[in-house]
Amino acid sequence: MIEALLQTLLNGAATGGVYALVALGYTLVFSVLGVINFALGALFSLGGYLTYLLMGGAISANGALPGWGLPLALPFPLALLLAAALTGLASLVVESVAFAPLRRRNAEPLLYLITSLGAGLALVNLLQMLMGAEGYAFPAGALAGLPAAVVVGGARIRSVQVLLLAVCAAAVLALTLWLEHSRSGRALRAVAEDATTARLLGINSDAMLRLAFLVSGGLAGLGGGLIGVSISLPGPYVGIGYGLKGLAVLVLGGLGSVPGAIAGGLLMGLAEALVPAEASGWRDALAFAILFAVLLLRPNGLLGRRLVEKV
Amino acid sequence: MIDNGLLVQMLIGALLGVSVYLPLAAGQLSLATPAFYAVGGTLAALLSTRVPALGAGTDGSLQLASFLLELLLGGLLAGGLALLVGRLVLRLQGIYLAIATIALVEIVRVAILNLPFTGGAIGIFGIPQPFPTAAGYLMPALGLLALAGWVCQRLEVMPLGRAMAAVRNDELAAGCMGIDTTRVKLTAFVLSAVLAGSTGALAAHFLNTWNARQGSFDTAVTMLAFVILGGSRSWLGPVVGGLLLTALPELLRPVGDGRLVLFALVILLGPVLFPQGLITPALLERLGRLGERAVASDQGPSGEGKP
Repeated sequence: MIEALLQTLLNGAATGGVYALVALGYTLVFSVLGVINFALGALFSLGGYLTYLLMGGAISANGALPGWGLPLALPFPLALLLAAALTGLASLVVESVAFAPLRRRNAEPLLYLITSLGAGLALVNLLQMLMGAEGYAFPAGALAGLPAAVVVGGARIRSVQVLLLAVCAAAVLALTLWLEHSRSGRALRAVAEDATTARLLGINSDAMLRLAFLVSGGLAGLGGGLIGVSISLPGPYVGIGYGLKGLAVLVLGGLGSVPGAIAGGLLMGLAEALVPAEASGWRDALAFAILFAVLLLRPNGLLGRRLVEKV
Repeated sequence: MIDNGLLVQMLIGALLGVSVYLPLAAGQLSLATPAFYAVGGTLAALLSTRVPALGAGTDGSLQLASFLLELLLGGLLAGGLALLVGRLVLRLQGIYLAIATIALVEIVRVAILNLPFTGGAIGIFGIPQPFPTAAGYLMPALGLLALAGWVCQRLEVMPLGRAMAAVRNDELAAGCMGIDTTRVKLTAFVLSAVLAGSTGALAAHFLNTWNARQGSFDTAVTMLAFVILGGSRSWLGPVVGGLLLTALPELLRPVGDGRLVLFALVILLGPVLFPQGLITPALLERLGRLGERAVASDQGPSGEGKP
């Protein structure tokens, strides 16, 4: 009983950690640019597929190059980090095609919604073209050396979930430390606070924006790789679902709030894990039902700042 | 290359574009259209396969009257749902409203997937057809579009439409002028839902099967793209955008596997190349002047094509 509950809570926290990564990805870009990067879900998928390929996985029969694989097989931690970095670079490409042209002419925020969604759709369909639509399981022995279960306080729990939670916690901690204490992190927060003043103080706000996209894409890519290894990649659309959940978490925590995104992610993951198995079909609706309720009770999110329109 | 079936799909695209346009005309970015489309389609699919009085006759065909009744009921159910939900969500603004409506779309999708009577992942199939060929659907689809266009055209001179434009330009100022902004926004939201519900009922018969995938986040995106690419300043914009963007994936079929990537690139580059959409205010003004010169008969879209 205790064992089952502990496992459930851990599963919830691990999934919640991934939601928090996605929500933090949105938060970084939102706090600097004031718009939501809807391509983040597609970047999540990209991270998963890149991790798979870097570990030496081969393309399936329905892909563009059936049977082809990279001539290297990196161990999981290395593949995950490299995939996250590459996804960050892809996020920079998204910025330059979907955001930069609009930013240059001060377009209305609605247009960013369409262009970023268009970029995301293009990426997902590109993945589908190259890798095929079917699911991928990670190569056997992806986590060789890691015992299948660990014993905590007399309860056996799946170690891959512990790994997931640990990586998410480490990423969140590193991000927080970077934002709070490093020169570039503080510059980023200055731009988020007031871009014009930051520019007057000699901060290159365009470079900070690109940095936000880079880190944001990296977080999404990390999430994709983690979900790929712990569950599998059910298809190129995998990231769209996590992207939507991340959006729910983002609003739950309050747009632009880093602690809100972390707390919201954990809360959402735990709430989903506690849905009984008989009602598991409804689990996907829970996040949005919670979001709906929160929006109606607290329109600025749980930890969001109150925005008052000035006239 | 464009056959009757594709033409009906294009008209459905245009109808959904107008449905997204209506709340936007009152300044509200709502992505709820796929939810109402799914609700209308599910109702029509259920009624015509489960209710003998409304279902297919012995020869497998459907009475035209039952078909029209289902269009009406689909619209009414969606409108009723919008009235309930709208009161809650329309308090939200900007991106919060957009996200809340995405949440609504997901809740409706999961509900249709899990309710005991909607057929699960497979959905409802064998929905009876009122017409033997796709060409038969052209008239009701055109009729619905003509009706929607007529309403939008009337709105431009009616107090409600003026109030919608005022709310879009400045909600606070509109409120100060004595406009009941909540009521105006809610009316636009309900009109949009009624149109989406009826369109869903039509599409369910036309497609012959109906499942939860019909109203998803992806479709919300595509529908918004109809409006943005067509132009969001007049109802003609979403009509043009809906017709073109629904036809595009089919016309790109010779390209092969890459067609969906190309389609996504069109959505990506559209706002960059045409920030005001294809039907720009300048173009409308020129059309208006042409219309004044030929005063004869310029009342809305071509012909009252009601069946």
